Amino acid sequence: MKRDHRDITGATDYSSGSGSRADSSSIGNSIKAKLWEEDRDAGGMDELLAVLGYRVRSSDMADVAQKLEMLEMVMGTAQEDGISHLSSDTVHYNPSDLSGWVQSMLTELNGPPTPNLDPVLADSDFNSSNPQHRQRNQSRVFHDDSEYDLRAIPGVAAYPPPKSDPDSDSTRKRVKTSMSSSGPDGDGSGSSFSSPQENGIPGTVTESSTRPVVLVDSQETGVQLVHTLMACAEAVQQDNLKLADALVKHVGLLAASQTGAMRKVATYFAEALARRIYRIFPQDSLDPSYTDILQMHFYETCPYLKFAHFTANQAILEAFATASRVHVIDFGLKQGMQWPALMQALALRPGGPPAFRLTGIGPPQLDNTDALQQVGWKLAQLADTIGIEFEFRGFVANSLADLEAEMLEIRPPEVEVLAVNSVFELHRLLARPGGFEKVISSIKAMKPKILTVVEQEANHNGPVFLDRFTEALHYYSSLFDSLEGSGVAPPSQDLAMSELYLGRQICNVVACEGMDRVERHEPLTQWRSRMETAGFSAVHLGSNAYKQASMLLALFAGGNGYRVDEYNGCLMLGWHTRPLIATSAWRLATTESG
Amino acid sequence: MVQYHHRGCHRQGNHETVGENKEKRPKFFINDHVDILIEILKRLDCRSLCVAASVCRLWCTIARNDSLWENLCFRHVSPPPTSVRSVVLALGGYKRLYMGCVRPVRSRLGRARRASWARDEVQLSLSLFCVDYYERLGGSNSNGRVVGESSPSSLMFLCKPVNV
Repeated sequence: MKRDHRDITGATDYSSGSGSRADSSSIGNSIKAKLWEEDRDAGGMDELLAVLGYRVRSSDMADVAQKLEMLEMVMGTAQEDGISHLSSDTVHYNPSDLSGWVQSMLTELNGPPTPNLDPVLADSDFNSSNPQHRQRNQSRVFHDDSEYDLRAIPGVAAYPPPKSDPDSDSTRKRVKTSMSSSGPDGDGSGSSFSSPQENGIPGTVTESSTRPVVLVDSQETGVQLVHTLMACAEAVQQDNLKLADALVKHVGLLAASQTGAMRKVATYFAEALARRIYRIFPQDSLDPSYTDILQMHFYETCPYLKFAHFTANQAILEAFATASRVHVIDFGLKQGMQWPALMQALALRPGGPPAFRLTGIGPPQLDNTDALQQVGWKLAQLADTIGIEFEFRGFVANSLADLEAEMLEIRPPEVEVLAVNSVFELHRLLARPGGFEKVISSIKAMKPKILTVVEQEANHNGPVFLDRFTEALHYYSSLFDSLEGSGVAPPSQDLAMSELYLGRQICNVVACEGMDRVERHEPLTQWRSRMETAGFSAVHLGSNAYKQASMLLALFAGGNGYRVDEYNGCLMLGWHTRPLIATSAWRLATTESG
Repeated sequence: MVQYHHRGCHRQGNHETVGENKEKRPKFFINDHVDILIEILKRLDCRSLCVAASVCRLWCTIARNDSLWENLCFRHVSPPPTSVRSVVLALGGYKRLYMGCVRPVRSRLGRARRASWARDEVQLSLSLFCVDYYERLGGSNSNGRVVGESSPSSLMFLCKPVNV
């Protein structure tokens, strides 16, 4: 951190001309001598900088850091001769007193600082109405366009209302972010507002995250980030694309100053919004094997998929009971990761394993390889190893609605017990009107003993875009938080791929519409009513499933954050207080039990 | 004791100092009684067993025997059905099961464990073990474009140090 300070000061020194540098070094030498004579703790001056010849109080360090960053931002965004007056006209007094010097530099560039104005944002990007800037002939990045009415951003994000000090401060204090911001808790937020920071700029905090004072700004930016995202979504909702465009860029700027989960979520949402604005829609029909790979990494880094598989398997196992021939239809086979565990449990069943038949359904592959057959072959190898009679059939289908029950060669229930399994597949059917109904009726025609459904617990299918956006923002923030908290640091590729997997979902939820928007997640209550309308009744997942799920979660590094909850016989896995996925099991309401 | 007597008989033509050696010679040498050795090693915990494996070649061979590890896996659990053994051996053996799954599972669940969950722990370990075997089966096709990278392992989350 201190190294960064030195680098920044070095950079600004060079850019502001040679005059001040010569001054500082000569002054610096004499001061340096003085400091070495004095005691170590010479009036609270930072020692490392003192060696270089700069006097900065340790207590002022964060403040100075911020100001230097502001200075750098302003200088970075100024064009051509914008700052040449710094080298020729300005007089620099005592540059070794970094705090005072930086303050005077900023004053030179910005004019007298006004309370609650974000000078960096207002000056370098959105020079709307500050007359002093025009006087100083500073180049503006944006031309004053009244359409960029940033008053749209609620709160004090970019264009703070000209209120008095205490009002805005209290507004900021009261604003609570419902997303957990990345990094340490901003518990010092309340008290730090009293610090005399006239230029309340959110600074980059990556290097200073251990200092409580700077934390405030990180959360401050976090709040602004959320507000800006919401404002952008609202602009998109109202079809005000110019404003949305400006806001999206602003989001990018704010997101860069965040760290961790917040940054990633904001980046993905910003990208999705940009795609929606510019109408560059992502191709959802990309290589399915690529999606599979991403999902594999997601499988490894966090327990969601494992939870889904284990709980569904437990329900299927209990439904199979003592049957001698069993058949499972998997609506999304992918890499078949769910089935080894089921096969192992069947193999060790008291009374011996049944004959196991698996029908896997998957999308067509772009390079015409038969991915389904490869998975089937692997599973067959496993079955052979553990001694189960195994049969596999793969079906390629663009959509589940294309399937008919007759195609699947269902054998009568007296001969073979059937289970249908769907993990994160049913919500895609909602994109096509009538798709879900068709599939449900096919399932009913198959007469399964049990239907296991795992879905995301979120409401991303509302009619209003803004509502969907808000819901998605909260949902994926929790999800990214849990990824962050899982402590999987070394295999960063896994983490990155998992995030990319989620990022694509985000893109689909936000940027796509109509048939392309396949990530139509709905909460369990809605699924329940759909299933019950269709003639299914719920099967309670037993305590075995709950036990297994709890143990599984305890194994994960972030085990304290994950929570398993039982809700009317269904199991929900969540991160802290937010449920994220739900497993439920269904049987035909009219069948007799047995 | 029979051995000793035999040696006594064969020593008739030996040096006189043999008589003195008779008293200095240990009466009981564990390596001569492999069955007792196995019984003892069977009751050790994992760490002691690994230490024992570095004592001498005989101990090393015995410690590598899968049945010892089977005992470790099912230590606090009522004896499992015999079908388990064939499955586990086919999937890679008890030592692998213990080191890869049972041990991390038990240590992770640590304080949260209850005695009644011992059986479930083993079952969970077996499931994870099976999934791992399945992944290791994977040919190059399953990794698609990820060339040169180590294939994803579903047990990796067990290997990572835990921030408890």
